[in-house]
Amino acid sequence: MMLKRLRERRSLQGTLLISPALLWMIVLLIIPLLLVVVTSFGGRDPDGNVIYQFSLDNYTRLMGVPSGGFDPNCAPIAWPALAAIIGLPSLVGILVRFVSRRAQGESRSAAILRRAFKPYVFVAAAFWVYVGVNIYSACADALYVGILGRSLELAFWTTLLVIALGYPLAYFIARAAPKRRNLLLFLVLIPLWTNFVIRVYAWIIILRESGVLNGILATIATALPFLGPFKPTEILYTQNAVLIGMIYEFLPFMILPMFTSLEKIEVSLYEAAADLGANTLKTFLRVTLPLSLPGMVAGTILVFVPVMGTFIVSDILGGRQVILVGNLIQRQFLDARDPAFGSAASIILMVMTLVITIYYTRRFGFGEEVTAA
Amino acid sequence: MSNRRSPWLRLFSYFVYAFLYFPIVVLIVFAFNSSRTNVTFEGVVNIPDQCGPFYWFCVLFKDQHVLEAAGNTLKIALTSTVVSTIIGTMAALALQRYTFKAKAFSEVSLYIPIIIPEIVMGISILVLFSAVFTWLNGALGLMGDARLSMGLGTVILSHIAFSIPFVVLVVRARLVAFDRSVEEAAMDLGANEWQTFRRVTLPLIMPGVLSGAMLAFTLSLDDFIITFFTNGPGSTTLPIYVYGLLRRIITPEVNALSTVWIVVVFLVLLLSQRLQRRSV
Amino acid sequence: MSNLYRNIWKGMVVLMVLSLALASCAPAATSTPTAQPQPTTVPKPTTPPQPTTAPTAAPIAAATAVPTAELAMPPFVSKPTTHVMADGYVCPEPQPKVPLTSKEVNLFVWTEYIPQDTLDCFQLVYGIKVNRDEYSANEEMYAKLSAGSTNYDLVQPTDFIVGLMIRQGLLQKLDKGKLPVLSYFDSKYLNLGFDPNNDYTIPYQAGTDSIVYNADKVKTPPTSFADLWKPEYAGRLVMLDDSRAILGATLLTLGYDVNTKDPAQIDAAKTKFAELAKGVKLFDSDSPKTALIAGDVDLGITWTGEAFLAAKENPSIKYVYAKEGAIVWQDNYAIPKSAPHLDAAYAWLNYSMQPDMFWLMLRDFPYTNPVQGALDYAKSDTAKVKDADGNDVTPADLYKAYIDSPVTNTPLEALKAGHRIDDVGDALPLYDKAWTEVKGQ
Repeated sequence: MMLKRLRERRSLQGTLLISPALLWMIVLLIIPLLLVVVTSFGGRDPDGNVIYQFSLDNYTRLMGVPSGGFDPNCAPIAWPALAAIIGLPSLVGILVRFVSRRAQGESRSAAILRRAFKPYVFVAAAFWVYVGVNIYSACADALYVGILGRSLELAFWTTLLVIALGYPLAYFIARAAPKRRNLLLFLVLIPLWTNFVIRVYAWIIILRESGVLNGILATIATALPFLGPFKPTEILYTQNAVLIGMIYEFLPFMILPMFTSLEKIEVSLYEAAADLGANTLKTFLRVTLPLSLPGMVAGTILVFVPVMGTFIVSDILGGRQVILVGNLIQRQFLDARDPAFGSAASIILMVMTLVITIYYTRRFGFGEEVTAA
Repeated sequence: MSNRRSPWLRLFSYFVYAFLYFPIVVLIVFAFNSSRTNVTFEGVVNIPDQCGPFYWFCVLFKDQHVLEAAGNTLKIALTSTVVSTIIGTMAALALQRYTFKAKAFSEVSLYIPIIIPEIVMGISILVLFSAVFTWLNGALGLMGDARLSMGLGTVILSHIAFSIPFVVLVVRARLVAFDRSVEEAAMDLGANEWQTFRRVTLPLIMPGVLSGAMLAFTLSLDDFIITFFTNGPGSTTLPIYVYGLLRRIITPEVNALSTVWIVVVFLVLLLSQRLQRRSV
Repeated sequence: MSNLYRNIWKGMVVLMVLSLALASCAPAATSTPTAQPQPTTVPKPTTPPQPTTAPTAAPIAAATAVPTAELAMPPFVSKPTTHVMADGYVCPEPQPKVPLTSKEVNLFVWTEYIPQDTLDCFQLVYGIKVNRDEYSANEEMYAKLSAGSTNYDLVQPTDFIVGLMIRQGLLQKLDKGKLPVLSYFDSKYLNLGFDPNNDYTIPYQAGTDSIVYNADKVKTPPTSFADLWKPEYAGRLVMLDDSRAILGATLLTLGYDVNTKDPAQIDAAKTKFAELAKGVKLFDSDSPKTALIAGDVDLGITWTGEAFLAAKENPSIKYVYAKEGAIVWQDNYAIPKSAPHLDAAYAWLNYSMQPDMFWLMLRDFPYTNPVQGALDYAKSDTAKVKDADGNDVTPADLYKAYIDSPVTNTPLEALKAGHRIDDVGDALPLYDKAWTEVKGQ
């Protein structure tokens, strides 16, 4: 009886404590998101007002379904046929695998067959993807899917390059003497604290045709004439400028959580590995890398998600002709006067990042390292 | 362990540091540029009766709009930090210590803002405010200054919204490592729940609360996207102002502003480091 | 209050007659430099003595009736205040100065379009705060306004979007009785098709969109929009980030109308523009001159004022009127329906466009200036002020540069050959879509 009352009281206390935060989240997160979902099924009138209705038009437009439906003769018939012929054996492979899993204990021949088919399945899958992309771009209006793909590609490269630059540095800091460690970390923090917009602006000065980078390159070229005549690089207002800007913006977000992970690894572990005869590479692959994975996962999320959703970097460094999902959404709301379509695009963006991050965190685990940033 | 570090690693790390600092150095150097268009560096500006080489800094400090934007930024950051830290700490305690009905739902809704792109949150809040304000202004017949509109209020509300989840995350991390036997001991000694919280729990989780507040402050100070969608007349923040300057012909005034910003940040960070070291 | 305004109008009509008489016998008496105190012989426009029964719109009607606008204009006498700006500009006294109850005024204006001196003087003279937010596309301004949750008192729509804004009920009718400044306008810019009686808008600045190029870098200068498609220019182009203007220029190269509603023609323009877009390095509706001056781009399509300012930094930057005819436009001031600070909005319009204030546009943002009074004032004023580069200039110098330049003082034939962009109603989504699609590729 006492216990039950105590439990009720504690439940009440918990509810009281959570309610302000929950209220905030419901009013400024859940309800707005639901509104966006509702809007995304709407349409627009000629003047650009939202018409609330239920139609999937915005989504089919995003997916690139042509307004008049698909043209049956849009792709040469040879492609699907070829895909089918090449794909058939792999279908057998999948079937064998499926059956052998079902059966109690795999028979020897089935196992051999399955293993033989395994590489083939990959080849066939790659081919299918290739054919699929070709048919899609021939039949559908690939514009918006293309923008999504380009954003994903950019986010992927940014994340990869940020890891490549950030991992060694995080390792370097984590292994530094404790006294210097604070200073080194502090030095990573400062650029993070200078404003986001200011950080992009710096790259305009550097990358423009008469900018600092070309100035330095020209000086090198005149000092070393055997390198040939100097030709200024044109980086500003290209995809590469956007990539550089993104890397610079988000590098600290990768270094900090990775550092937290790497710092936790006990020195004794390295010593044990060395005692057991592992060389540097082996120690790295078997000890350091697996133990630092949670930090890398947290860092990846902290980099990948904002890169997918930002629009200023591409706006300022991309000359407004590098269009990413963020720009697409912003344009629908502020330029093209089509909030319904913009809402649909942001729903797609949200679902995409949610799926990717959830899959990624499930796969590799999600540490408290996010908090380090 | 320093013997373990290869010279290549050291060299590479210095290279990354150079990459991090090269743009900052360029920014600062160009703040002293004598060329107004600021395309190439054409020597140090030097106007004797107007602050000499610090000409652009003087221009900056005479700029009423910059000072106003700086004031707005601080107002927004301080308010949203205080509110989100209190609410976030409460929520962290609730989630870590208590069981209640909407727990799973709360966990999820406090996790979403961390993993959805900011632009989605920004436009959804814009859609909400537009709908609610249009409706309320019409229904209540509000006129003139009484009309609800985008401004400081909407920016602060949205900043609190995106800060809370991060505060919760940080404070919970501290609570996980918390030794509850201390609290039990306090209770055994006759302290009631509030006294226990006030005298025992709060001081122990204080570092977590403070770093949560620090994070909230940083996020608010740096935010561009959500402010971009929720601001209105008179609520221009520094990031929005800088973005506006970038859209015009860019004079070294922007660099002067960046330099001041960097120096202030540097000093604040240095000070907080010193204070932390002393308290440890 | 309205009595006061009516009196002002009456006074102006009287002054008009007086000035006609004066002009016929003593031509030198009309202009006085700012530095001098006012001569007592010229009556102040703010204190009109005789009552007449002219309706409020009379000066405008009179302006359109009289062939030369200068004749219809009351002479303007500047009165300095004690406020002096850092560049040497002396804030003039507002004429008339009306007491305000509002404590602030919210402007929503184009980037780089309001002189800093104007903002500062208004704040000093009226003692209220001016909040300025900026946009770089009409569509952006329209979207924010139609979202319904903004408190702006003044916006600056370009001609073609005015119709849409009126239709959507976003603008309120102007009370012309409260706009004495209208009498200083050149009637050429009033009563245009998009707002036939100027019920909702008053002109701010006009200009054209045409070709700009850097003569140092471009060996064979383009003479028509169609020339921009030449492969030698690819990768060096800058374009306004403005769907109607750029697609409009594309339509012209195909021989279509800039305001076509025919989906097939718009589609053809889209396909043709897609070829050009591959070679466009930068879309910029904020400050395209920056990239031109920096040498990041060598040619493209920009507004007149940007070309003029770019040429000041680098004289090899030239502006040419395209053979097909340039795009002609006019920006206007309008008051949103929900404007909370009406009195301040009217005070702003009158003060910021008052002749001794509005000539600042010749220095800061030199587009085609519709306020004839401001041009007349500048012509003879020799008070020195500093320009953005810190050089001493006088309004008279600026006036000369303005009048002599075919960029700012649009030649009549260029104006005649020009094409004005209109509201296309139902066809607008087609333009929006074509634009997004081409840029997204």
